[in-house]
Amino acid sequence: MEAVVVDAGSKLLKAGFAIPDQAPSLVIPTQMKRVIDDGSIADNSSCEDITYDPIVRGFIRDWDALEDLLHHVLYTGLGWEMGNEGQILFTDPLLTPKALREQLVQLMFETFNISGFYASEQAVLSLYAVGRISGCTLDIGHGKIDIAPVIEGAVNHIASRRFEIGGIDLTKLLAQELSKSNPHVSLKMSDAEKLKEKYSRCAKDEIGYEKIQQNCRKEQHILPDGQVITIGREAYIVGEALFQPSILGLEAHGIVEQLVHSISAVSSENHRQLLESTVLCGGTSTMAGFEDRFQLEANLCSSAICPSLVKPPEYMPESLAKFSAWIGGAILAKVVFPQNQHVTKADYDESGPSIVHRKCF
Amino acid sequence: MYGGDEVSAIVIDLGSHTCKAGYAGEDAPKAVFPSVVGSIDQMEVDDPDNLERNSGSVPESNSTVRTSESEKAKGKRKLYVGSQALGYRRDHMEVLSPFMDGVVADWDIVDTIWDHAFRECLLINPKEHPMLVAEPSSNSQQQRERAAELMFEKYEVPALFLAKNAVLTSFASGRATSLVVDSGGGSTTVAPVHDGCVLQKGVLSSPVGGEFLTDCLMKSLESKGITIKPRYSFKRKEIRPGEFQTIDLDFPNTTESYKLYCQRVIASDIKDCVCRAPDTLYDESAYSNIPMTPYELPDGQTIEIGADRFKIPDVLFNPSLAQTIPGMEGFVEIAPSLRGLPQMVLESINKCDVDIRRELFSSILLAGGTASMQQLKERLEKDLVEESPQAARVKVLASGNATERRFSVWIGGSILASLGSFQQMWFSKSEYEEHGAPYIQRKCP
Repeated sequence: MEAVVVDAGSKLLKAGFAIPDQAPSLVIPTQMKRVIDDGSIADNSSCEDITYDPIVRGFIRDWDALEDLLHHVLYTGLGWEMGNEGQILFTDPLLTPKALREQLVQLMFETFNISGFYASEQAVLSLYAVGRISGCTLDIGHGKIDIAPVIEGAVNHIASRRFEIGGIDLTKLLAQELSKSNPHVSLKMSDAEKLKEKYSRCAKDEIGYEKIQQNCRKEQHILPDGQVITIGREAYIVGEALFQPSILGLEAHGIVEQLVHSISAVSSENHRQLLESTVLCGGTSTMAGFEDRFQLEANLCSSAICPSLVKPPEYMPESLAKFSAWIGGAILAKVVFPQNQHVTKADYDESGPSIVHRKCF
Repeated sequence: MYGGDEVSAIVIDLGSHTCKAGYAGEDAPKAVFPSVVGSIDQMEVDDPDNLERNSGSVPESNSTVRTSESEKAKGKRKLYVGSQALGYRRDHMEVLSPFMDGVVADWDIVDTIWDHAFRECLLINPKEHPMLVAEPSSNSQQQRERAAELMFEKYEVPALFLAKNAVLTSFASGRATSLVVDSGGGSTTVAPVHDGCVLQKGVLSSPVGGEFLTDCLMKSLESKGITIKPRYSFKRKEIRPGEFQTIDLDFPNTTESYKLYCQRVIASDIKDCVCRAPDTLYDESAYSNIPMTPYELPDGQTIEIGADRFKIPDVLFNPSLAQTIPGMEGFVEIAPSLRGLPQMVLESINKCDVDIRRELFSSILLAGGTASMQQLKERLEKDLVEESPQAARVKVLASGNATERRFSVWIGGSILASLGSFQQMWFSKSEYEEHGAPYIQRKCP
């Protein structure tokens, strides 16, 4: 049986058997609602309207919710049988504390009784997905942005950066802007999320952005509950916020500058490798016009340090940017598990959860 | 007694230039960031006296205002730590260092830096991890007690150990006896270590360090008419495809200290890329005809550096050379008492017992950021062979990897904290509560 690869993000959980060159078979939102199980399923009013997010800003926070979620994913979604669990590979964001990894290993071996475990960092996996082992990944996710230079499969922690902004903050920004320009429309967060995915785009450059702010074509959109909302320049504000975080109220430089600073912190002999293989991944990076704007801003940097994006291989699916960490995990799983480099149940029983730091890095 | 086995210790080394922090047992620190903070004084709008003081521009009264303000509660100023926060330009942000003459002067800043390292860089809860803190080789009892107090009272760590920088460097190279030459950002310290203990009588320190060399380089470039523009002061625009234009941005409210800080960052990058230690003593005439090396500044300007490539590193060996750089004349007052690196090494060894001198000569370790300069090891060895007694076999050791040299103190701490035999040496919280901070002298020699 193939190993299972799970990439648990702040918004979507991607899971599937480790078959490279394909998108994950199961992509479900990680947000969960509690249902009081008293037999009467038809009575919706007993359902609490509190949502639980097991994963906040990339890190696992609510272990019980995660357990339920994984239970559904592994047994119902992927068809594992009780008593015949297989091997699993998890992805970690940057700067995962050691204690968090140990807890995850403990959960997997003790509650789920899996036979083999491996964990790897998302930055390295995204590079594997495009066929490189060295490069710089820019992961713009729902809960966080990670910039990580990777040299020969090892993340350079000293130079990498993590930002606590992501798709979720952009959604809030869009909702704010829309409610300012459409005062009589009440917008739920989930609707704002869908609007963001459909309409948001990046302006061609800063001058273009300023022109759009003054004068923009407006579009009408009908919300599921029948209200009509007009979207015009708000769609561009969301894209611009990544390049000018002051729009979000943050005191930080735009992502291209942060990328350049990050690469400068690495010793200069590796600069060329990193600059030639810059990978954009994460859901938010699939915004229309983002890649072109990124390349334009990158060209404005000094000629010594000028990142250029790498082209993904042709045999990879179209949605590579969204699932690159998962696809990289599938590639890695095919190498690690057959060669027995993973943490087996016997290893775990002998040494305890701290073995994960020695075997997986 | 604290028996830590499963839980990972944290090693933290607060140097004068960068702070390094990470888990014990790893081969490099996870968090490396500048050990200066940006500080914005919060103005009290409803206090007329304060307004008057803040808007006054007489130089003398300004400095007294600043010291009295730093004595006030921390809530009166907002501190920004970390390379991300410092990299962003803010109005009225001053750059402050916790160190004054190599000793910690402002414990609030140290507190903020440690907090940033634990909570934002490593994402750990200090209550769960024993701490190994690296301290300067000639640290006073009072400083150690203060550090212990801060760690136990504020962070409530379960156990603590204070280790001297020189001892940790020694461990990193696997030796119990050696002479450690630690050339870091703020100063250069030469300390003999014997059987894991620093011989205090032989410890020598000189203020010539990486930051001093960076200042020399900056003044030298300025005298040649090259101004280094800080990153925030310009923006590049593409007017035609392939053609770029640099536009100057003006931010009148930026403080001088911040501007200097940004310029220093660029100058130290120039120093890292271009400077090399010369093979012999620097001679103005000999180096006047060497080919110039180009370097591209962030704003697109390309500068050529010639003799300075060798002159600046030679300041380590011959500090009086700094006087010849225009703009560094203020250095004259302290210059006569300063010795070059080889002289410091010899003086330090001569202060030790005759019996161990031979061993010290044959294991001289280089550590620190400035020590990773190219050709420094070879030059030091050559100078020492010339000036040392005939019978001594001089050997200068430095790990080949530049990262290892820069973080050798941290790596030594990582090794020490993960040793099985070290686990009984921790100074635990219960011992602190029972005996108080002065007990640290007994526990951490």
